[in-house]
Amino acid sequence: MAGLGSVCSRRLAGFVSLLLLVFVAVISASPDAATGANETLRRPSGHSLDDSHHPRNSSEHRKAFPVLAFNYEHVSKPFVISLWILLALLMKLGFHIIPRVSHIVPESCLLIFVGLLVGGVIKAMDQTPPVLDTKLFFLYLLPPIILDAGYFLPIRPFTENMGTILVFAVVGTLWNAFFIGGMMFAVCQIEAAQVGHVDLLSCLLFGSIISAVDPVAVLAVFEEIHINELLHILVFGESLLNDAVTVVLYHLFEEFAHEGTVTVGDALLGVVSFFVVSVGGVMVGVIYGVLGAFTSRFTSHSRVIEPLFVFLYSYMAYLSAEVFHLSGIMSLIACGVIMRPYVEANISHKSYTTIKYFLKMWSSVSETLIFIFLGVSTVEGPHNWNWIFVIFTLILCLLSRVLGVVGLTFIINKFRIIKLTKKDQFIVAYGGLRGAIAFSLGFLLTDTEKKDMFLTAIITVIFFTVFVQGMTIRPLVELLAVKKKKESKASINEEIHTQFLDHLLTGIEDICGHYGHHHWKDKLNRFNRTYVKKWLIAGDRSSEPQLISFYNKMEMKEAMMLVESGSAAKLPSLASAASLQNAQQRAPPKQRAIPSISKTREQEIRKILRANLQKTRQRLRSYSRHDLFSDPFEDSMSEIRFRKQRVQMERRMSHYLTVPANRQETPSARKVWFEPEHKVYTYDESESPRDGAALETLPDTVSLLSESPQRPDQSSRLRKRGDAEQSANAPDSQEEPQKLSRCFSDPGPKEEEEEEGEG
Amino acid sequence: MSVQMKQRGSGGGASKSRDLLQVTAQRSRQDSPPPPAGQPLPPLSVRAGEDNLRGGGGGRMGSGSSSLKHIPDGQQLMEETGFSAAHLLRLHERFDFLDKDGRGHLRPEDFEEIRELTENPIGGRIIAAFFPPEKERLDFPSFVRILAHFRPIGKNRSRDRAQPEQANSRTGKLKFAFELYDQDRDGKISREELLQVLRAMLGLQVTEEQLRSIAERAVQEADIDGDGAISFDEFKKSLEKVDMEHKMNIRFLK
Repeated sequence: MAGLGSVCSRRLAGFVSLLLLVFVAVISASPDAATGANETLRRPSGHSLDDSHHPRNSSEHRKAFPVLAFNYEHVSKPFVISLWILLALLMKLGFHIIPRVSHIVPESCLLIFVGLLVGGVIKAMDQTPPVLDTKLFFLYLLPPIILDAGYFLPIRPFTENMGTILVFAVVGTLWNAFFIGGMMFAVCQIEAAQVGHVDLLSCLLFGSIISAVDPVAVLAVFEEIHINELLHILVFGESLLNDAVTVVLYHLFEEFAHEGTVTVGDALLGVVSFFVVSVGGVMVGVIYGVLGAFTSRFTSHSRVIEPLFVFLYSYMAYLSAEVFHLSGIMSLIACGVIMRPYVEANISHKSYTTIKYFLKMWSSVSETLIFIFLGVSTVEGPHNWNWIFVIFTLILCLLSRVLGVVGLTFIINKFRIIKLTKKDQFIVAYGGLRGAIAFSLGFLLTDTEKKDMFLTAIITVIFFTVFVQGMTIRPLVELLAVKKKKESKASINEEIHTQFLDHLLTGIEDICGHYGHHHWKDKLNRFNRTYVKKWLIAGDRSSEPQLISFYNKMEMKEAMMLVESGSAAKLPSLASAASLQNAQQRAPPKQRAIPSISKTREQEIRKILRANLQKTRQRLRSYSRHDLFSDPFEDSMSEIRFRKQRVQMERRMSHYLTVPANRQETPSARKVWFEPEHKVYTYDESESPRDGAALETLPDTVSLLSESPQRPDQSSRLRKRGDAEQSANAPDSQEEPQKLSRCFSDPGPKEEEEEEGEG
Repeated sequence: MSVQMKQRGSGGGASKSRDLLQVTAQRSRQDSPPPPAGQPLPPLSVRAGEDNLRGGGGGRMGSGSSSLKHIPDGQQLMEETGFSAAHLLRLHERFDFLDKDGRGHLRPEDFEEIRELTENPIGGRIIAAFFPPEKERLDFPSFVRILAHFRPIGKNRSRDRAQPEQANSRTGKLKFAFELYDQDRDGKISREELLQVLRAMLGLQVTEEQLRSIAERAVQEADIDGDGAISFDEFKKSLEKVDMEHKMNIRFLK
């Protein structure tokens, strides 16, 4: 009952907020209304000012001090922008209040719908709604999305399928453009259409605008359906790389649409231009990427501005490419890809998180705004609806896409090891969504008469692909049982074996005398290791092998997970506190921290502890976040108590850890694990000990606190004692319980002696 | 030391104490070490001349013809491994190239002369994998059989479809990789063996601690039955998400 009530109240809240927001948007969109509000608001305060006016009549210079003033024009522009962004985000929030709808309809559709609504309302009030300005789109809204995509591009699948992606992007888009353009010209010749005035070049221009698969739309739809990596990277990679083709074709046809004819020389220049645009774009991106990586090498003293470097260099890459009419998207992607490995080796963990979240945030906002504006512009834009033109455009788009994909796959499969099946081809063809880029390019057209007609057709195609294809792709994926993305945990095994296999394959290639794929990859890696890394990565990280950084990252992730899940790890410290009392000088403060528990309660707790630690063993084996969370012990009543202790211990820990340890000597990770009966050890990050930021994160990452050590040498003394105890028992019998508590890998009891010898 | 050895000299450098024809033959061979497929075989013919000069080896000195007659059991090898005739010929050329003495079989030293292989961290293991234990000779059929592991899985030319036991099936590839780890051939990859591999791959840049912890972690992750070592099935399981078909393939061997 309560549930039902809450559902109803949520729905109600959703609707109310929706209405409220539409209202707000309308207000903000209309400057006249705003000034009107100005007036009305001013009137009450006008009374108080009235007095001030009278004296003015009498004496020119005497004006009462305005207690309350209203000055909207001053802030109107940022105010409106912020209000729109707020509206967009509230919409996004609102959708998830109504879960059923958001499950069926992809977010992009909902956003366009909202845009339509808002646009309609604004229009009904006879105001002019803001249109998706091309400059706004290309300079402000598109880069964050592309940067987000490029920075987090999965490199391995991308490079493995590079050939396929390039063929689809270049040849596929060319095919689409010419097929659609040509066929539309034929259609335009039909008398009944009354579009005879559209000449071939304009048709080709139209074809080139509408043929490109749009990365924003693809991202928006494919994000939600979680198909397997291969298909995702194929469609997505294609949408990114076809930008070069689109840019060239668009400029080419636009130039010549005015001239009227295209000579062979121009066509050849077009081909040359394509190479210049794509390669030039990539090179610009690479230059900025290297600059960014180099800069990040020196940021160890001002960690706070690190993320800004990443963003600014990438944005500059985009803008610089746009200056020369090169492909900005490819430049941005190249910059992100090049920059990422080096920057990540240099920056602190917090900066990394910041970059990640800022990119996600900006791209999310951009995407939302784009779709809403698309809806608003649809309502606004001058339309010239021509049935035949639009219908044929739609049909031809679909047809050319299908033909293109099938034809190209037939050729590509001859060169691929893993063939693309019919299902794959279908998804690739179906996933060819058009989006806001096509709209913006259409908006840039100058010839008004055809522009309206083109725009109408473009919008129709966009709506069709986003609504119909976007909505139906999910059930189709289910229906066709397309392989979904496997949620796989990063596994050190996979990494080791993958590297091993790379070496093996390189070796075999050398034996066969074949300078193949692996040979060149190996050469590239060697070059990277010996030269590039030395220049671009600061400090001793520059010689860190990839496996080690991978391993460290994994360990850190798990440390944080364990800390967040909080509970079971903490408890043994409680139990061991008692046993450690004798050993430690610092025990007394700890005792104070531990609240007094009755004997029976303590027994109970220990029993539960032991039982849960058994379970934790299996859970730890699987290293899954969810398992750790669902620890039943959390439900116990002592949870709150332990949390309090944790806070206190962490405070103490941060105090201990800000004392710089002599850790420069051992880059090894000191392990943390817990023994039910024995001790607890400190954990050091094996990551760069040089930055203070790392120290700050340590209290978070330490899940257990050693009971005391004021300085790490004491901890080593602790360990020594631990060793003594352990060596007393057979080391093998310790293996089992140690294994169970293995949050991080640890070398075993023998290692302790070595470690502490160094520490 | 036979006369042949003296005359051979080292594979990489030019040697002066040689017959002129041999020198030119060697040099021309060095100029085009990887005999790409489909090219007419000038090096082969020159080599033929040189081989005649050396006069050693068996009667299977390659001639300029592209028939399988000169490869013993060629037809049978084709069926067994699934290679086509063209591939077998290429491999044969390569075999001859590596076999500088013309002995008809390869020895570990021949492999060690491949420069890139010596730079490869696991080069030694790969070489050892070619030679069965205690044997120092590798003849052509064994050479081909091992390389068959790296043939891409595709439409089989042989009569039987890709059975799990076939060399280039996924299991076959995995088995080959497994054996590279498992040097003592006890069917399990122990921590020590994994540690050796890691040491070889990561070299001197990493401390022993880190290596140990990585090895420990890896074994722990993969070890399902808790015996502290990775058996073949566990190995297979830990790689189930890795795309073996892509990874263990040399394209030109298709």
